[in-house]
Amino acid sequence: MLRASAQSSETDIDIQGVGGDAASADKGIEFGAELMQFAEALARRDEALLPGARQALSDAAGAAVLVDAAGVAANFQRMVRIADSIGIPYDDTTSELGQQVREDLNLTAFATAQHTEGLAR
Amino acid sequence: MTHFDFRNAPYPIREDIGEAYRAYWDKLSAPGTWWTGEERIAIAQECRNALVCEFCAARKQALSPYNFPGEHTHSGALPGRVVDAAHRVVTDQTRITQAYIDDNAANGLGKGAYVELVGIVVAVLSIDEFHRALGMPVETLPQAQPGAPSGYAPPHLSDDIGFVPTVAPAGAVGDEADLWASGWAPNVVRALSLVPDALREWREIAAVQYLALEKMRGYFKDDTRSINRLQMELVAGRVSAVNECFY
Repeated sequence: MLRASAQSSETDIDIQGVGGDAASADKGIEFGAELMQFAEALARRDEALLPGARQALSDAAGAAVLVDAAGVAANFQRMVRIADSIGIPYDDTTSELGQQVREDLNLTAFATAQHTEGLAR
Repeated sequence: MTHFDFRNAPYPIREDIGEAYRAYWDKLSAPGTWWTGEERIAIAQECRNALVCEFCAARKQALSPYNFPGEHTHSGALPGRVVDAAHRVVTDQTRITQAYIDDNAANGLGKGAYVELVGIVVAVLSIDEFHRALGMPVETLPQAQPGAPSGYAPPHLSDDIGFVPTVAPAGAVGDEADLWASGWAPNVVRALSLVPDALREWREIAAVQYLALEKMRGYFKDDTRSINRLQMELVAGRVSAVNECFY
């Protein structure tokens, strides 16, 4: 969805930001590094990092951005569990965009790739 | 008591978020499709127990989560299989298998009940995670409302995706006509559709935390949000990657 959104808005981004690289996250995305690090601290349940990441995002982008980012992060803590708990396959394995993202981020190494026929290693 | 009163929150929180959470808390406390209000709240409590469950933490490190001995930290209100399912969804969801779902179904935790359980666990987890993200304590669980579950099963089911039946792409008709439009929906939307109310609850919370379903494919900025679509998808992508979610 990030790459599709970048294509739609004709923005040059670096997909490795999703993989946790702060410089990549910042490319083409305002407050990208702070947003990515906040999302990571939450998803990793890292209570040592989360307060600092929260403060850094709030300082850089403001409280409204922090709150909306918290909503999105919380929502995807749910989405990933729905997908994996129900074992749903990826919708479209044939799109060129999706294939490139899977390759760039090495997504087929994830155990849940087995839910999608023909993609698990 | 008023739940989700954010007037004293450390950050200004949009009113629609509190409204959606309050609406969900009301639904959580009421009888569902397969569980009573009391059972639904007990499942919500197990979602929270999972995060401090030492057995879950130890099992997560095991090569296989199956046949791993031990006992969950639990509240004692639900059968062991139900507790285990709720905890797995929170702490070890990537290793849930078709065989696990089928074994549960053969031993009292039917697929409809499992889907409703998943819906409850992920909704409560998501609301709790929003609080944790902002450094706020989680909300007190509601009091159960009396009544019996409906036992409703949608008529147009398909076994084409996932571990459980789902409403077929063209099956969102009749009582399910509000679930999605135009005869197609992404799999993540269909995932909970065996219990249509679980999907409806998913959509209502997603609409305030992320985007309404009809806006998800639009890739434009929602003017009610402070972050644009690229920023949203970066956050979403990083959370998904840390969770090793292929989907």
